[in-house]
Amino acid sequence: MTTRRFDWPDLLFGLFLIAVAAGTFAATWRLAGGSAADMGPGYMPRAIALALLAFGLFFAGRGLLRGHAGIPRVQLRPILGVGASVGAFALLIEGAGLAAASLAAILIAACASRESRFLEVILFGLVITAGAVLLFVKALALPVAIWPW
Amino acid sequence: MELFDNLFLGLSTALQFNNLIYCLIGVVIGTAIGVLPGIGPIPTVALLLPFTFGLAPASSLIMLAGIFYGAQYGGSTTAILVNVPGETSSVVTCLDGHEMAKRGRAGPALAIAAISSFFAGTVATVVIAVLSLPLAALALKFTAVEYFSLLVLGLFAAVILAHGSVAKSLAMVFLGLLIGTVGIDVNSGVARMTFGIPALSDGLDFVPVAMGMFGLAEIIANLERPEVRQVVSQKLRDLVPSRADLKAAFPAMVRGTFIGSALGVLPGGGAALPPFTAYALEKKVAKDPSRFGKGAIEGVAGPEAANNAGAQTSFIPLLTLGIPANALMALMIGALMMQGIQPGPQVMTEQPELVWGVIASMWTGNLMLLIINLPLVGLWVSMLKIPYRLLFPAIVLFCCIGTYGISNSAFNVWLMLGCAVVGYFFIKVGVEPAPLLLGLVLGPQLEENFRRAMQLSDGDPSVFVTRPISAVLLGIVALMLIAMLSPAVLKTRKEALAE
Repeated sequence: MTTRRFDWPDLLFGLFLIAVAAGTFAATWRLAGGSAADMGPGYMPRAIALALLAFGLFFAGRGLLRGHAGIPRVQLRPILGVGASVGAFALLIEGAGLAAASLAAILIAACASRESRFLEVILFGLVITAGAVLLFVKALALPVAIWPW
Repeated sequence: MELFDNLFLGLSTALQFNNLIYCLIGVVIGTAIGVLPGIGPIPTVALLLPFTFGLAPASSLIMLAGIFYGAQYGGSTTAILVNVPGETSSVVTCLDGHEMAKRGRAGPALAIAAISSFFAGTVATVVIAVLSLPLAALALKFTAVEYFSLLVLGLFAAVILAHGSVAKSLAMVFLGLLIGTVGIDVNSGVARMTFGIPALSDGLDFVPVAMGMFGLAEIIANLERPEVRQVVSQKLRDLVPSRADLKAAFPAMVRGTFIGSALGVLPGGGAALPPFTAYALEKKVAKDPSRFGKGAIEGVAGPEAANNAGAQTSFIPLLTLGIPANALMALMIGALMMQGIQPGPQVMTEQPELVWGVIASMWTGNLMLLIINLPLVGLWVSMLKIPYRLLFPAIVLFCCIGTYGISNSAFNVWLMLGCAVVGYFFIKVGVEPAPLLLGLVLGPQLEENFRRAMQLSDGDPSVFVTRPISAVLLGIVALMLIAMLSPAVLKTRKEALAE
């Protein structure tokens, strides 16, 4: 981490909060606000979003004024690997069943680490898949199909 | 004596065969995740929540509680043998515990850690039993006004006593509150911020949020760091500590237990803050402070007693007031609500066997943990040899299955993925996600009580300061905030929370 012009963590967190507040206003502008004594559905979300906006402006402003530090480098491999693994599970679980979804999730997740070894992962994936099916479907009676058929 | 009647009632629940089994399952899982660095009690409890649906409320809470305090035992094993804290609460145990292990005294260190934890757990169980009745009686007088102020106090105190920047944590609380408003508004039946997604009409489920932000985001961040794990390899004979060890450790154990019990009750206390305080105290009262950091047995006994006592007494606000002291207790509230029990002071009178059963189970659980951890320590050590490259894909998978299992919806899995990405962003910008979870769980209660209070007072906000109990509660909040602005307090806090 070298010294940067902006305090990136603060600035990004501030911008994030501002974006969330803006999104909230956009999503609730049609809901009735009501008064404090008789609040409508839009009252609380907008009140909270206002607070978030204030926090966001504060952090973003502070981040701009205070040169401090960068963000520790973002590595793409872990986040893509884990993300793809969860995504694959979500796509497969309803159509292809638990067995296929589990195996896919394990194999893809393993790609997130540079240390994974090919054969070991395949073997481990099969064992964990079998274990997951036995544990969640047989023992804990989770109502989900094991196979696609 | 009412107290003994209650404890007796609790024991009769806790000693039922199936509850003993669930307690055992809880503490075994707790020890396992405590031993393994990289997975903490929060994602584990979130993962198991969906499967406690079918259990009786008492059994499910007994099991989930066992995971939490079991993790405190397991965390110290890793701290002593590997010099990596299995849990945040065992960071301090690394200092002297690992030093003892390096000098060939791993056995006594582990034994003292377990005995201190057991002693603290036993005392804390009694503390909970004694404090619960008066607190719950006081809370029964609360109306929406007082309850709102209490929730505000709980949230603020949790933020101030926890790690990290206060301003950022407060922002996270508000973010959690905002997410908590998603779904159909109870009062008007209008959908708020559901973006037309039917799965959102019941609100965001906190299980995927917790698993994404605490489980998956943590894994992603862990994978960016190279793995260092060196187990001190020595035969773990001589598990029985010598008389001299016990004599040196006992006073530290007692002091640690009291510090832990006191700090655990505070919102935001829990298991993280007490060990640091206990360690500092031991160093201060020691005749020769220079021994610390070089394998002083008091430096293991004090913090270990403190984190265990703190973990248990942090259940007091939950059981008596329905207010979670930390993110894990927020999940416990979720567990209660899943069982159809509205958390609050009335739980104590309406479901005495639940509350007292959970309290009594902590003692049986601690007894089990003593056995699980001392004679069987070799088993846990061999678990430490599982490499992370195999561990993490399995955790990812279990998070997926657990999230899917809540309501058989793939939407929750996608939601978890989204939360993982946001959680990773939070880690990168250095923001703690725990306050968000508190806000999310408490949000609906806070809004409901705020609305009711405002209806009672005809929209006049001064009601919060004209009612005495509420005024005192909010006064404490104001005092805390003012104190945070003073540089001297800020400095002490920084030192107290620093590693």
